Amino acid sequence: MSNTPPAPGPVASEHMDLNARNVSFDWEDTPLHWLPSDPFAGHTINVLHLLLPAGERWFVHVYKQVLPYITDERLRADVIGFIGQEAMHAAAHDDVLPHLKRLGLDPTPYTAQVDWLFEKLLGDRTLPPGRAREWWLMERVALIAAIEHYTAFLGDWVLNADELDRRGADPMMLDLLRWHGAEEVEHRSVAFDLFMHVDGGYRRRARTWATAFGALVFLWQRGTRFFLENDPGLPAAKATLGQFFRAGQQGVLPSAGAMLRSIPTYLSRTYHPSQEGSTAQAVAYLASSPGANGGVRA
Amino acid sequence: MRRALTVTAVAGAAFWTRRALRRRIGRSPLWPLPALETPVSGHSPRRRLRARIVSRTQPAEGVLRLVLEAADLPAWTPGAHVDVVLPSGLVRQYSLCGDPSQAGRYTIAIRLVEDGRGGSREAHARLVEGADLELRPPRNRFALVPAASYVFVAGGIGITPVLPMLRAATAAGADWSLLYGGRSRASMPFLDELAAYGDRVTVLPQDETGLPDLSPLARVAPGTPVYCCGPEPLMAAVLAAAPDPASVHLERFAPAAAAGPARPFTVTLHRSGAAVRVGADETTLAAVRRELPNTPYSCEQGFCGTCQHRVLAGEVDHRDELLTDAEREDSMLLCVSRAASDHLTLDL
Repeated sequence: MSNTPPAPGPVASEHMDLNARNVSFDWEDTPLHWLPSDPFAGHTINVLHLLLPAGERWFVHVYKQVLPYITDERLRADVIGFIGQEAMHAAAHDDVLPHLKRLGLDPTPYTAQVDWLFEKLLGDRTLPPGRAREWWLMERVALIAAIEHYTAFLGDWVLNADELDRRGADPMMLDLLRWHGAEEVEHRSVAFDLFMHVDGGYRRRARTWATAFGALVFLWQRGTRFFLENDPGLPAAKATLGQFFRAGQQGVLPSAGAMLRSIPTYLSRTYHPSQEGSTAQAVAYLASSPGANGGVRA
Repeated sequence: MRRALTVTAVAGAAFWTRRALRRRIGRSPLWPLPALETPVSGHSPRRRLRARIVSRTQPAEGVLRLVLEAADLPAWTPGAHVDVVLPSGLVRQYSLCGDPSQAGRYTIAIRLVEDGRGGSREAHARLVEGADLELRPPRNRFALVPAASYVFVAGGIGITPVLPMLRAATAAGADWSLLYGGRSRASMPFLDELAAYGDRVTVLPQDETGLPDLSPLARVAPGTPVYCCGPEPLMAAVLAAAPDPASVHLERFAPAAAAGPARPFTVTLHRSGAAVRVGADETTLAAVRRELPNTPYSCEQGFCGTCQHRVLAGEVDHRDELLTDAEREDSMLLCVSRAASDHLTLDL
């Protein structure tokens, strides 16, 4: 095959056995503007709660189907750990949605669309068993690998976003984001390894990256605008690109430069997710996260 | 020249599209994606509620009555129960015994069982007025079916799901009678409230009248629903005494999650017809994976839900705290749950 990539270089020391953690978060005391003084950045991060429940349930749904294609036992164990972690992420973010509704910002109009996107548009479709069905499965596995590149990027960012602490962000929300981010960093190689194992074609990798990146930008800006326009406490708020650049410079959102730099990283033929982020940092956070250690109870 | 025209046309089209899009998006930030008609996200039946204990009273010896309030408590119907997460993390089921028309308010009653598994001891010791309590949304597996007449049988604290049923039956103009047994009048809660119903209620304290006389049940017209909640022997006696066991509705105290000793059983995998023996010392999942190595699973502790599979036949001993009642009707988590009978058929 002409598009066979040169073997990507995984960093061996970054491998961990993956296990789902039973988490518990209590949203009662979290305000709508959990990041004081910057509702734009807070709402941009809130878009995660809109996309992840449906998105990560979809990951689980797809990965359950791909298990029979895995011939490597270690990878299979990783994928099984990955599935459980993603199922818990979906459930944890899902619990934030009723709280947003209680605070006067009903996310249902948006989440119903995201549900449609993942359940219908990206669902199983009615395909005959055989090549068509396998093609669609591999396409989705590749899409997940591309999306996981960004979740690992965001996870690494949130673990190091000290500015959020300095601004007095709500500790419960910060713990949810960092627990999730840390698990994303911990399992950042799985989706890519799985894609390389079952398909690995460079053209598919580039194509699905473009789809995933376009869809993420589209959904994210739309979610931020949705939140700002429907926020009962901000009658005249509008999302602008300028706010996004400023928030990136101040460190309350990932910077535009870092995002742009992550594009050639993923498209490089020698890319492997273990080359970025630190498993040690992620595991250290998970060991001390209140939500991941028996939960928080009054 | 032609090039300039093309550029102008493309620029004009782009400008026009942008303006049209802006206008559409201005009307709704969510144009133009279709939406799923019944949204999934944010409607998890597994979500937790938080309510404040606004009153704590003792309506009878060893019985604690708690009134819980929160603005967003879901509506419920008579016969429903809630899962209460006690401060230690233990989860216990209690029937709602208040008034369903009072939005934002739940009432539960808890009998102290000294030699029980510790849930009621903790509730009596630690649930104080003003404290916050975590709940899971109400579920109903003891719902009142519409009928012209009813017979209710309650034993002790088993009166709790029946109490709102009496109010609903009275409001609907149905003809009903209640047999209410207990150890002694002092230990039977809500007698004062029941006194208002006059001779429709027969109170049978064991220290005055002995074991409850269930002979009136034999005269119940066939088809009349009989609702019974109480200790296991009472429910067995009601089943035996009722002329039509099919119309008897039972609510058990003991939650299905009570883990007894593991027994071996057989699982039939419906799609291949293969039979798998599950030993007493292994999980259903481990046995199934011997036959089907690609069966999805993950946490192996009953919280992630990956190994949920459809059950086609057989009684399941559910040992997870994740699935809802509707899901338990026809599915199970292979990693922790087992068979309650000797045999299960799975859709695998």
